[in-house]
Amino acid sequence: MTGSARVPADPGGAPPPDLERSIARLLTIGTYLSVGFLVVGVVLMLRSGIAPRSGGPAFDPGRLIQDVLALRPAGFIWLGLVAVVATPAARVLASLVGYVRRGERLMAVVAASILAVIALSVTLATVLES
Amino acid sequence: MIDGLLLVGGGAAAGLFGSLLGLGGGILIVPLLTLAFGIPLLNAVGVSLICVIVTSGAAAGVYLERHVANLRLGMTLELFTATGALVGGLVAFLLPERVLEVLFGGLLVYTAVTMARRRETPTAAADPPAANAHGDPAPDRRATDPSYAARLSGPGYQVHRLGFGIVGSVFAGVVSALLGIGGGLVKVPVMHIVMGVPLRVATATSNLMIGITASAGAIIYLIRGGIEPYVAAPAAIGVFLGASVGSRAAQRIDIRILRGLFVVILLYTAWQMLQRALA
Repeated sequence: MTGSARVPADPGGAPPPDLERSIARLLTIGTYLSVGFLVVGVVLMLRSGIAPRSGGPAFDPGRLIQDVLALRPAGFIWLGLVAVVATPAARVLASLVGYVRRGERLMAVVAASILAVIALSVTLATVLES
Repeated sequence: MIDGLLLVGGGAAAGLFGSLLGLGGGILIVPLLTLAFGIPLLNAVGVSLICVIVTSGAAAGVYLERHVANLRLGMTLELFTATGALVGGLVAFLLPERVLEVLFGGLLVYTAVTMARRRETPTAAADPPAANAHGDPAPDRRATDPSYAARLSGPGYQVHRLGFGIVGSVFAGVVSALLGIGGGLVKVPVMHIVMGVPLRVATATSNLMIGITASAGAIIYLIRGGIEPYVAAPAAIGVFLGASVGSRAAQRIDIRILRGLFVVILLYTAWQMLQRALA
């Protein structure tokens, strides 16, 4: 795996601190936001007397907003779970943007490829489930 | 209501001990859910993947901010862990539960043996020196070596054998999605022993990679109905709280006795898991 991409201005391994700092902030905010949604969902779940082993509604993206607006526990919990899963992908997307801005084509290709694998996961799972 | 609180408490215990012992929560949350709460293994793995993403998220942010994690190396390897996780997630739905239980039992035994053999080594001894015996800075070959591996290297260390790292990453991804763990048990030794990455950097970079690795698998579980939302949410909150407390307490607790006790618990849990599979 040798790179033919343009050598960045800083040949050192560490990306610019501002990129690392932005990504770190994104990860922290994303994690706390996800946990926040889950906490609201669990509080609503406990108040409603729902047993955890009752199964719960299946994931339905079309109902997500509706359930959240109606303050249904499942709405907040699914929103939190989606946020949990989406946070790392958002980190890769932010890295992609950062590397493109720096002209680091090879790392940008790596980031784009990771996002392609994630997209493939979504597609294959959806196709197999339907 | 009691079950919900027990899940939060159980998750907190798993997160606390996992954090104190340097393990992800997955190795503990899966047996907890299957053996104590009677949840099918496939669903427990799905819930566990959510838990490990949550715990790695906040920690990875700190490691990045302190420049301990190597973002370039992590992203390069996580392309392959994510690919492995995609395969593992698809295969998990095809395998009989008993096969997964046997695999998980084997993982528990492996973890117990690894922990029992672990010796306390100061971080400095495990890391390569940043300066040589004359006090000159260690040569930084990144500027002179045009290879891709060299460009992934960091200050004071050179990344070697990227091919082995890629193979190890694919394997770590498959194991992660099959068994609901972060895969650090594979990634850290591969990066540290095989690729020459300092232990501290390997651990932090592995933590960073957990998010996308577990996400690639968790997406499949989420869409295919492998995640019970009312179990996942309290467990994830508990693991998050436990891991937060554990990371702050880790410096002040002598974990040698805890580790010995834990080896016994892991072996007992492995026995229970294997008995279930063979019953």
